[in-house]
Amino acid sequence: MKITRKVNQEPVNTGSMADIAFLLLIFFLVSTTILQEKGLMITLPPDQEKQPVMPVNDRNLFKISINSKNEFLIQDEPKQDLVGLREELRMFILNPTEASDLAESPKKAIVSLKSNRGTDYAAFIAVLDEVKGAYYDIYGERVGLSGDQYRHLDLDDSRQLALYERGKEGIPMNISIAEPNK
Amino acid sequence: MKSFKRKTIVNAEISTASLPDIVFLLLFFFMVTAVIRTDEKLVKYEVPKAKHINKAEMKTLIRELQVGLPANTRLGTEPLISDGSHYLKINELVQWVNQEKATLPEPYKDQMIIVLKADEAVKMGLIADIQQELRKSNARKVLYRSKENI
Repeated sequence: MKITRKVNQEPVNTGSMADIAFLLLIFFLVSTTILQEKGLMITLPPDQEKQPVMPVNDRNLFKISINSKNEFLIQDEPKQDLVGLREELRMFILNPTEASDLAESPKKAIVSLKSNRGTDYAAFIAVLDEVKGAYYDIYGERVGLSGDQYRHLDLDDSRQLALYERGKEGIPMNISIAEPNK
Repeated sequence: MKSFKRKTIVNAEISTASLPDIVFLLLFFFMVTAVIRTDEKLVKYEVPKAKHINKAEMKTLIRELQVGLPANTRLGTEPLISDGSHYLKINELVQWVNQEKATLPEPYKDQMIIVLKADEAVKMGLIADIQQELRKSNARKVLYRSKENI
């Protein structure tokens, strides 16, 4: 005698599995912030006491100061905003017309940022941003890219690294952050 | 004349059987990369906006300083400095930097990156004091944290 039993294999309904996963996914998407440390990188000068004072030729110094009312003084001209600063910086650093009041060479050009103790941090960052932007434009131009493209070069890719190196070769980003005056 | 009309009924349905798997993969990715922060912010800050920003590579070298108004109103309305877990006074910064440097391997000690997360409204006086202390303690790579302004 053979008793044949039907094996009753009821399939588990997995249709809602995707929905559950979606819900979880959406929860994580909403609740996570991927840590990205982005910002303006700068190297501060060494400690004052250890630093020999170097005389700088006045024509090589691009002076930007911000007062406590967040007004700008750019190359001794009062300005209310930063329109045209990047272009002015580019002319100053590259000095294509060999003007006697602009930098001798891009290597010697120094951009000095001076703020007041009462200046808003946001104003300082706005100026620093423009200065860095001017340098990136110059670097990018030398390798046939825009400033933004230059900034986004992937330094892990050897070809892009070569472009990056060629762009900034011989033009250091001389941004000097001076002591704020009282 | 014969007419060559054939009716072909094409039943092309995309199989969605693998969709849950894809979603699960995404889900696992997010679950793995998520950092759940439990520590309360000691200071409140809203970083300024900037266009020309870069990413800091080498995440292990990053140490964070936050500057802003204290979250606890009983501590007054003057901006304070915090390292994420306690408040720091200006004159404690050098010691703090040296402590943080001690946690880094030897070749990287002078490559420490200080990420400064300061509120837009903080005055430059305080920022400059912090910079002075960082210069003194030879932690001179500073990243002013800013939001991308598009």
